[in-house]
Amino acid sequence: MYDDDCAINDQTGSAITLAALRAAFPLFIPAIPFGLVLGVAITNSAMPTAVAWSTNIAVFAGAAQLATVSLAATATWLTLVATAAVINLRHVMYSAALSPRFNDQPRWFRWVGPFFLIDQLFALMSARTEIGGSEWRRFYLSAGIFYFSSWTIVVTLGMLAGSSIPTEWRLDVAPAIMFAGLVVMGVANRPGIVAAVVGAVVCLLALDVPNNGGILVGAISGVIAGYLADVAESRRAEQRAATARHR
Amino acid sequence: MSSFAAIAAVLSVGMITYASRAGLIVFLADRPLPANITRALRYVGPAVLSALAVNLVAGGKGIDGVEFVEVAAIGVAVAVTAITRNLIAALAAGMTVLWLLLWLS
Repeated sequence: MYDDDCAINDQTGSAITLAALRAAFPLFIPAIPFGLVLGVAITNSAMPTAVAWSTNIAVFAGAAQLATVSLAATATWLTLVATAAVINLRHVMYSAALSPRFNDQPRWFRWVGPFFLIDQLFALMSARTEIGGSEWRRFYLSAGIFYFSSWTIVVTLGMLAGSSIPTEWRLDVAPAIMFAGLVVMGVANRPGIVAAVVGAVVCLLALDVPNNGGILVGAISGVIAGYLADVAESRRAEQRAATARHR
Repeated sequence: MSSFAAIAAVLSVGMITYASRAGLIVFLADRPLPANITRALRYVGPAVLSALAVNLVAGGKGIDGVEFVEVAAIGVAVAVTAITRNLIAALAAGMTVLWLLLWLS
């Protein structure tokens, strides 16, 4: 077990904060263009700019924020919320994977910590197995607060740039490019490709479903297709292993 | 979109985001998710993000909203991401192709 509760003195404390910031920074760099694109999308949003900006504080999740502010023009409240819910399902995966690390943490941290759980923090913390208890908590909060404040700054800078960029530059296309890139980054195997292609094709066929419902129809079809492809793939692998054993 | 509708949307999205991050940590600390669920959750990312990209390209105008230049830009960005695994390079390449095609036409 790890010793907790005032077990670390100020010196190790600031050393951990420093180590956290050092580890957190490189992962933030790829998020910078995303934050700038989001800033531009906020200035173009059908929402009042201040409300769209407040997603930085209220939501703090790049993809869900970008979907919220850029769908505001065409979607109803219900589709907006449902789309964000589906986008956020990957966070359920993160919290499932990290939840054992929260078992020995105080109650307040179990409530506060998850707010900061963005992709980068998950990548950082799931790799941080050598520390626990109050050290892990300090590392988590240092990195989390760093991401939260730098994200807000970068998005705000994007808004300042966005309002001075002419519309002929067609920066409205940037969010779609960003999402397409994220798809490729997120595909780890063949069933992932199946999920992405089915999601896109079904959404394209379902574009006439009112209130952007095509996103959900596409997403759900894609998940089912990816799951089935995964099951089929592991079944094939088992069969191969079985025939190999019989020889 | 009215201020009230926008605020309601942002607050709801915020609550849903927090719930998806905190639910298992706050309430289900020890119980793992069933294997089938985690297996399906793995494909949520690719499926929803590609559907979202298609929807944004259409821009609420159905299939008529899909412009050739946008499709070309996204195609290039997808290829660049696959090769470089770098979103900055993908965004730069996609936007460059978009601007080139717009300038040519």
